Amino acid sequence: MELTHIWGILFISLHAMVPITLAAIGETIEESAGLFNIGLEGILLFGALAGALGAQASGSALVGLFTGMGVGALIGLVFGTISTSLRGSQLISGVGINLLALGFVALMLSVMGAPGFHSVAREVQVPLIPLGIGNLSPLVPITVIVAIGVWWLLRRTQLGIWIRAVGENPAAADVAGIRVNRVRLGAAVAAGVLAGLAGAYLSIDWFGAVTKEITAGRGFIALAIVVFSGLNPLLALLGGFIFGFFDGLATWVATYPGIKDIIPWQFVAMTPYVVTLAVVAGMIGRVRFPSALGVPYMRE
Amino acid sequence: MKTRSDTSSVLDKSDVLLEARGLSKGFPGVWEHLILDKLDFDVRSGEVHTLLGENGAGKTVIANILSGYYEKTEGEIRVKGKLVHFRSPREGLAHGIAMVHQELMLVPAFTVAENIMVGLDAPLFSYDITGVENRIRMLVERYGLQVDPKALVEDLSAGQQQRVEILKVLFHEPEVLLLDEPTSLLTPSEADQLFIVLRAMADDGKGIVFISHKMREVFAVSDRVTVLKLGKTQGTCHITETNEDELTRRTFGETVPNYMERPPVAHKELALNTIEMVPSGLDKKTNSKGISLKIRRGEIMGLAGVSGNGQTELIEAVTGLVPPASGEVWILNADMTGRTPKEFIEHGVAHIPERRREIGIVEQMYVAENVVLKDYRKTPFSKNTVLRHQQISSHADKIVEKFNALVPDLWQTECRILSGGNIQRLILGRETWRKPPVIIASHPTEGLDAKAIRHTWELFLALRAEGSAVLLVSEDLDEIMSLSDRIAVMFDGKIMGTVDGKGADREILGHWMAGGTASAA
Amino acid sequence: MSSPKPWIRNLTPVTESLLAGVVGLVIGAFIMLAFGYNPIAAYRSLFVGSVGSVYSWAELFANATPLILTALTFAIAMRGGLFNIGAEGQLYMGALAAVSVSLLHLPAPFNWIVAILAAMVAGMIWSLPVALLKLGRGVHEVISTIMFNWIAHFFAFYLIANVLTDPQRGERTIAISESARLTRFFPDATLNSGLLISLVTVVVIFFLLWRTSTGFEIRSAGYNPHASHYAGISIRKQVLRVFLIGGAIAGLAGAIVVMGRPPYYAVLSGLPQLVNLGFDGIGVAMIGRNHPIGIVFAAIFFGGLMTGGRIMQFDPGVPFELVRVIQGIIILALAIPELRRLFSLARERLSGRK
Repeated sequence: MELTHIWGILFISLHAMVPITLAAIGETIEESAGLFNIGLEGILLFGALAGALGAQASGSALVGLFTGMGVGALIGLVFGTISTSLRGSQLISGVGINLLALGFVALMLSVMGAPGFHSVAREVQVPLIPLGIGNLSPLVPITVIVAIGVWWLLRRTQLGIWIRAVGENPAAADVAGIRVNRVRLGAAVAAGVLAGLAGAYLSIDWFGAVTKEITAGRGFIALAIVVFSGLNPLLALLGGFIFGFFDGLATWVATYPGIKDIIPWQFVAMTPYVVTLAVVAGMIGRVRFPSALGVPYMRE
Repeated sequence: MKTRSDTSSVLDKSDVLLEARGLSKGFPGVWEHLILDKLDFDVRSGEVHTLLGENGAGKTVIANILSGYYEKTEGEIRVKGKLVHFRSPREGLAHGIAMVHQELMLVPAFTVAENIMVGLDAPLFSYDITGVENRIRMLVERYGLQVDPKALVEDLSAGQQQRVEILKVLFHEPEVLLLDEPTSLLTPSEADQLFIVLRAMADDGKGIVFISHKMREVFAVSDRVTVLKLGKTQGTCHITETNEDELTRRTFGETVPNYMERPPVAHKELALNTIEMVPSGLDKKTNSKGISLKIRRGEIMGLAGVSGNGQTELIEAVTGLVPPASGEVWILNADMTGRTPKEFIEHGVAHIPERRREIGIVEQMYVAENVVLKDYRKTPFSKNTVLRHQQISSHADKIVEKFNALVPDLWQTECRILSGGNIQRLILGRETWRKPPVIIASHPTEGLDAKAIRHTWELFLALRAEGSAVLLVSEDLDEIMSLSDRIAVMFDGKIMGTVDGKGADREILGHWMAGGTASAA
Repeated sequence: MSSPKPWIRNLTPVTESLLAGVVGLVIGAFIMLAFGYNPIAAYRSLFVGSVGSVYSWAELFANATPLILTALTFAIAMRGGLFNIGAEGQLYMGALAAVSVSLLHLPAPFNWIVAILAAMVAGMIWSLPVALLKLGRGVHEVISTIMFNWIAHFFAFYLIANVLTDPQRGERTIAISESARLTRFFPDATLNSGLLISLVTVVVIFFLLWRTSTGFEIRSAGYNPHASHYAGISIRKQVLRVFLIGGAIAGLAGAIVVMGRPPYYAVLSGLPQLVNLGFDGIGVAMIGRNHPIGIVFAAIFFGGLMTGGRIMQFDPGVPFELVRVIQGIIILALAIPELRRLFSLARERLSGRK
């Protein structure tokens, strides 16, 4: 294998790491507060669409990214409200978000022209940073910074203590004067922002297009990474890189002459999912989840 | 340590920190009687004032009202002479009144310092963990609390965890501290350490309200003691002015129970036999000799004791719900240690659970379904896994009628909407219709009216006559003394003593229930 | 809370579903307005397109047939307190298993009997690991079922392209043998005897859940695992049961689709006839309140949305995907347990202001 291939795989891994890790970090905040959002996939999809539209409408990739974040925040708000004040089922509302996203994005794609596909003009895509060995998206270092920032937030601030207390023992937090539902709502919005950003990255950075399948289960892989990381954003970064590696490897194997004839591409494409299963099955006993995860809080 | 006699005269002159006059509290819809009935109570600076009473006497309710968790229905509360009305515990804290609850409200995954930070009023992005740790060390020094601020709460013993709860409260610099049964999770030596801490806090000028049902503690730590019974005070006095017997009598009552006459126990074989059995959940207690309980066929064994002394864990072990940590459980000559609930049921163990709504029935299922909750697999209720509704219906009809349960419908009424009493009637019917050889009855008549209570007692006696063994767990000493052939008292995870039911001495029982170890004379 | 009369109480879930449906259609109308379409014309088209002719009714039921089954898969798990969203993968495996039976060249009626059985077994094989992972390692079934869905997706692609490929047409599998195909009711509509199979399954599952001790245990465990444990019911057994039964039914759905779909009676590359049937089944189950009878009605509703949606796309040109948007909104509305209470609160507020 030549050197350029190694760098190639490395870069693909880093780029593939971004959406999964951002979504996982967002979900880490959410799960730390006790919410379990399986609608991440839907938020990613909404973010992808919003990012593309925002970038095109304004002519600026940056605006596109912010649009993705804004839409993600909105969906996070919906999910958070249903899960807290309305005491709804987190699993069902998550499914609803996923279905709604699928439908809405497909609808928009039809309305905008070619059903199922919409490419984003080159000019409004996120500009890459040319390093000698390849082009790096600025979102890669941003992801690293976000990971560090959220780690600091959760582990080294008063707010982080409150968030984690709400997830572990909401009754105790309530008794201590914390507004449990408000903290959870905030966490849901934060998760939405990051997942929305991840989605926007998919459309206006990595793939340069919006399709119905653009998320490919990444929202669920993010959930698995949250398990893998034990709710530690720094480990989520590592987990995201590992999965990104398999993602990149799959693409590489599918196109590299020689190997693609030996290993059918479908099996390589499966690896991220198989590895996810293996990791979750292996980790789950050893990882500690907030005791009140997924349980709506009602004051007695 | 200061002796009680020097403090009593000092106390009469010291400040009244917290005072309640004519305090009443009712829970309409849940309890028919007032939980607190025109109570007067006060706490003075420098004293440890104990509230003594059985469960249901109202001790926890008073403390919750005084600290702001509950609202009073009637009466006045004054802090240092000023009239107050707390709408939340935060307001109580702001006035210097703090409560340490019986159940720990800690985050196990956090360190001690982090747990304290949860309750702080600090800016969003600050993180003054060193400041908090230092303050903890200072308080530890001052009151002798022995806690490492950096330790993870889940690694701490129950005693240490409780100290963290006390620390949490001390951070708000309260003047009055209310502690609800603080030693329920502690070993005797941890309890002694706690008393030293409380004494130190009292000497510092604080007022401590100490809730307990354990006589030893009352005499170890109190300056004054107030006895509570059914929501009314039975008197307040200095600890030096009373003795254990008098307090026991005041706490547990002196009515003469009506032992129900019956022929003596006809059988010799053991129906239930636990051999040095330590139930799961009690294995961390220092007294791990285990429980050895023997109940013969045709015998009613009453298990007296205040709730929370291990009865729940014992029941879980002898019904198969939770396998015991060590020792053996034998049912009718079969070793059932660690077997599944289904095997216990098939072996003839009926269980009338304490938590009837949460465990005794499946609320969302219909009356008829709940009546056959344990029998649905057997003929005639099902054949080749097909349920036979007609058989189930007629059986359910019979049970409903025989036990006077008020149900609108068998197949349309979800048990969720039934009253607690009616649910209990259904459960009693379900558990006893087969005349099972072993019946574990936990608080079986709680919430029932007098007629139903009588009906249940007669039922148990009838089953006893036909050879059933009954383990009756109850907090109602009258019930235990009326029904039991023998009475055992449980305290702190062990059996303190066993006496014959006929002619049992209430004082001895009360003595054991409060932790006393004198043998029955 | 006073106890309402029993039959009224049974209506409450129906009202909630209807209410959620109304919410979905109303918001859908607003979205149409936003895009410049005429909601009235659109909904008229939807209505006429779905129930306006015998042909459209036939298509409606044809669409509803597999949805009934995938909905049952989800509903059984919910009754047992579990979240099985793996019908999608289980159904792909079922379809491919049915097709592979054609390789055996069995005579009728064995060919279709074996095909159906093989499909059900394939579905069970795909759902069993989920149950085992849950029981053995505590893996939440949401994550594992999705992973298995994606693995099935790619595995199916592989089988279609490499193992079961039609020698003449590389983009699809071999076809189901002619005598094994499900008989159609009308010459030019897809509706076939698969509908009967679905309805029979509905009856079987209803019977299972409410008339057998197995169903009793499943429901009890779903309502209250602690009380069930107290009553001697094995919670672990129920987990296995709901996943195996659900997997079998989803596999059956896959078989029915492939065995009843002209003109090819094969699985096409890209799985267009199968994709999303699993997820739509979840929606159907939720609207049908996880009850077999409700599921039939909800499947008819969804089936109608599908057929009507295509006509609506034709005239007045509202994209078909709007139907999916409406479905998503309905699910979100159903996630709120006290939807009715919210509505009455809102009504009070509004009338108060007037």
